[in-house]
Amino acid sequence: MGLLQKVLLLEIWKGLALTLRKLLLERPVTIQYPEKDKVIPKPGFRGRHALVRDPQSGDTLCIGCMRCARVCPSKCIQIEYEVDPEAKRRRIVRYDIEALRCVYCGYCEEVCPVNAVVLTEFFEYIGFSREELYFTKEKLLQNWDDFIKTQKRPYLNPFWKPRGYPERLLPAKKRAFTGV
Amino acid sequence: MDITLLQGPVLVAVSGLILLLVSLTHVAYLTYAERKIIARMQQRLGPNRVGPRGILQPIADVLKLIQKEDIFPATVDRPIFAIAPLISLVCAASGLALIPLWERFVLSNLNVGLLFILALSSLSAYGVILSGWASNSRYAFLGALRASAQVISYEVAMSLALLSVVLMAGSFNLQDIVKAQMESPFKVFLIPQIVAFFVFMVSALAETNRVPFDLPEAETELVAGYFVEYSGIRFALFYLAEYFGMVVMSALAVTCFLGGYAGPFEVPGLPFFWFLIKLYLLLFFYIWVRATLPRYRYDQLMSLGWKVLIPVALLNLFVTAFLKLMF
Repeated sequence: MGLLQKVLLLEIWKGLALTLRKLLLERPVTIQYPEKDKVIPKPGFRGRHALVRDPQSGDTLCIGCMRCARVCPSKCIQIEYEVDPEAKRRRIVRYDIEALRCVYCGYCEEVCPVNAVVLTEFFEYIGFSREELYFTKEKLLQNWDDFIKTQKRPYLNPFWKPRGYPERLLPAKKRAFTGV
Repeated sequence: MDITLLQGPVLVAVSGLILLLVSLTHVAYLTYAERKIIARMQQRLGPNRVGPRGILQPIADVLKLIQKEDIFPATVDRPIFAIAPLISLVCAASGLALIPLWERFVLSNLNVGLLFILALSSLSAYGVILSGWASNSRYAFLGALRASAQVISYEVAMSLALLSVVLMAGSFNLQDIVKAQMESPFKVFLIPQIVAFFVFMVSALAETNRVPFDLPEAETELVAGYFVEYSGIRFALFYLAEYFGMVVMSALAVTCFLGGYAGPFEVPGLPFFWFLIKLYLLLFFYIWVRATLPRYRYDQLMSLGWKVLIPVALLNLFVTAFLKLMF
């Protein structure tokens, strides 16, 4: 078999048959983004940052617990709050995310007890300067408005209830959460 | 228009110009076809930006290469460096003039046409080795050394394969070879000379420095081989020479093995139909092989040439001569 195989170039013909089959039967797998093909990210894609806008108050849901700022590995979240003496609540003065430093790990949205911060599935964003990618609280809320318009309601980000984490150990608000 | 009227020098010049233009478009679109076909074989799209389906890509490439600066590196031997691509191109392309494209269309009907084409293809090695030497660069020089060694060793096998055809046809004239094929029992020399055809095709791949024998320009080792120092239009000339080489070798294979311009039936109004169909088939084969096979190692290449192809071609030649004597 060895000699015959060599003389008739069987292996080479096999290879040629493979390429011919690819030419005739298979379609190109190229994704022509953005002209022809749209790319729709899978649920839970970690894209542009946003602060969920509370439908009642029109403000952020954030309670100023600072967990996100603490858990952030690149320390790109900066929060300033002041205590409202009447309601005994923290009021967010500044909530900044520096997207250029962010590593998109998603820890902030996992750790947030009220599901206030989220990495949306929107990924087609650019900036021509550092300022454009320095998200302030207003910009983050705006990001949320832009994003949620494109989504089915109620929207529930997979990272708000992380997979494999026992439900009973989640904070009470996260447990009861069914989406915005 | 009756092409037999082309007797005077003016008419020869005119038909030569037409042949040149047609073959240049063929060569340009051969690069396009190659890129497209290889892309499809690798499940890619290939060029698709310039014009619909990228059909204008070769034109864009040519325009780009013409605009580029023609760089002479400081250490090169200028006159030889400048002239080498021209030698390569002229030797590769002028073979087309000898191929009988049709019964009544041969630009120069030499009675030793086959020998002339072989001589030209050996001469084109001069372009390669001169460019490698004049570039004064290691990569280019190594590429040139490889190219010359390869061309010389495969030339032998190729000539031996073609000699069997000459024996069967009894002539070196390509027109006569085609006519001899039309009168032979199988209508083509491919069937009685299948071994010679195989040897010829393999050596033609090596002769034109194509994959899997593209060692002179082995991208992974030598960057681009002998034309590594070239840029702009001179680079394009080398590129043209390679593709002209492919076309000429395929045309030679069509003429010597596949019955030339003769076909199973006449296609009215399209005298070059069968020739072109066969030519395209062989060119497709070149591209197909390129998309499939990896490069040979240099010692494998040499031992394939000297230990396999030349003995096989010699044996085939002896058998052909013996049978010719017997019958």
